[in-house]
Amino acid sequence: MKISSQKTGIMLIMPSVFVICALLVYPVSYGIWLSFFRKHSFFPEQNFVGLANYVYLLKDPDFWMSLRYGTIYSFSTISLQIIIGIIAALILHESFRGRNFVRGIVLFPYMIPTVVAILLWKWLLNSEFGLINYFLRTIGIAKEPISWIGKDHIMTSLILISVWEFFPFVVLSVLGRLQTIPPDLYEAAKVDGAGAFSRFIHITLPQLRNVLFVVILLRSIWMFTKFDTVWLLTQGGGAEKYIRTLPVYAYMRTFMYYQAGLGSTLAVIMFGILIAFAAIYFKMFRREEGI
Amino acid sequence: MRKIKSLSSRQLAIYGCALVLVIFAAFPFFWMISTAFKPLREIFAYPPYFFPKDSTLANFVRLFEQTRFLTYFKNSVIVSTSAVVVTMIIATAGAYSLTRFRYYGRERIASLILFTYMFAPIMIIIPFYVLIRKIGIANTHFALIMAYTAFCLPFNIWLLKAFFQSIPIVLEEAALTDGAGRIQAIIHVVFPLALPGIIATGIFTFILAWNDYIFVRILITSDELKTLSVGIADLYNATVIDWGMIMSGGMMITIPVLVFFTFIQRNLIAGWGAGAVKG
Repeated sequence: MKISSQKTGIMLIMPSVFVICALLVYPVSYGIWLSFFRKHSFFPEQNFVGLANYVYLLKDPDFWMSLRYGTIYSFSTISLQIIIGIIAALILHESFRGRNFVRGIVLFPYMIPTVVAILLWKWLLNSEFGLINYFLRTIGIAKEPISWIGKDHIMTSLILISVWEFFPFVVLSVLGRLQTIPPDLYEAAKVDGAGAFSRFIHITLPQLRNVLFVVILLRSIWMFTKFDTVWLLTQGGGAEKYIRTLPVYAYMRTFMYYQAGLGSTLAVIMFGILIAFAAIYFKMFRREEGI
Repeated sequence: MRKIKSLSSRQLAIYGCALVLVIFAAFPFFWMISTAFKPLREIFAYPPYFFPKDSTLANFVRLFEQTRFLTYFKNSVIVSTSAVVVTMIIATAGAYSLTRFRYYGRERIASLILFTYMFAPIMIIIPFYVLIRKIGIANTHFALIMAYTAFCLPFNIWLLKAFFQSIPIVLEEAALTDGAGRIQAIIHVVFPLALPGIIATGIFTFILAWNDYIFVRILITSDELKTLSVGIADLYNATVIDWGMIMSGGMMITIPVLVFFTFIQRNLIAGWGAGAVKG
């Protein structure tokens, strides 16, 4: 376009740049700065302590515990989401009557507020009156009511709920890509006598590679930093210790112990882990043809 | 085109799988609605009823009478709508600039935006809260709207950028050579074509703000300023948990989302792929 329009372009982008710098880049940088201070969450007092927060956390068993829980949580929810998401997308890619309706329904869990997702699963999983326990007892799998949000099963419940809530994201992304795979690829494979499974392995999966690359990256970032789903499930069960992932731990340090310095340190560590993960991930899986 | 008369076993299998999928995704919603309309004794009946026998609105009545549901609802509407308006104005200008102009640093700005798209709420909120307290606007809707605008903006620009890119630049150039000013070209050529994308992006922003829990939980402390998600979540913390009321509240907060969602569902599946949604 014309050179004279340069100024207009810059003027139009300025508000975005301003908001992103003032309300995202600045706070996050300020968070990094805070991680070197002992800082009360409410009061202005703050003391420079250098790396003391980091050293403290490295020696803190609760930190390692939450890193462990967070890793278990992210890894299992992401794998299950990907598997269930791909299967669901393959089903929804077939043609059948009412397909659009079913596609809409399947996306529901992703669209609703997390608060609602948690409350309705807490009701379904309620140990005395919940439908799941009723069902399990009726068909004879469980003799006693299972305490789903008690300490033994809360991680399982959390994983189940999270997979249910977030698998539609995978469905959406994979389905979008499936629709652009040229049908002649499958025709050719059929002529060559390839079965359904071998067609999936040799045609569908390689075609999905790029979209899965992005989906796994995004889901890893979001599951590893997921706060509300985990936090809301811990409310009122008495077993919050057993699913205290890093984001929940950062929240507790900041807003229950009022240690904004330590909370920020935890956020920075999370950020660092994600950047390291992304770097390794890109090195291992990224192909040259752009994403 | 096959007719229904003979369903092959393959088709039967597909229908079976689709049914399982629907039950998996939708049964919890069915149970929520069913519980919301049940009288107390049916909610705790053993064995449970699938459908309410004497359906009642008592749960909804309690929700409106015993909680500040209407206040929360009003707050949610105010905050989400303002966030959408502010974000959309800034993002549309930004995305238009990124796709239609060439200037120094443009690519760098685009990658900065993509990078900040990766910031999770928990990484933003701690320093954000400390800063908000410093300038003394904690516990205001203004702070909340600021937080949503910041959080939604990167992904908003990214989505709109894709929409603007799909509109051929030739159309505007034609309008410009025909003597139209840039503003006219935008209003008469670009805007109508980009409108579906702008609406869809707006709806996404709305849903994101409407569904949010963490920002409200942290930024808002007084009850009369809370939005729905925190208001409903707090119903669970009562000493006696009123499941009927909670489920009716859950239903009320979900309905607007699903109505909006139905509007954009078609665009959504038409192949936006990853990046169309966040969370």
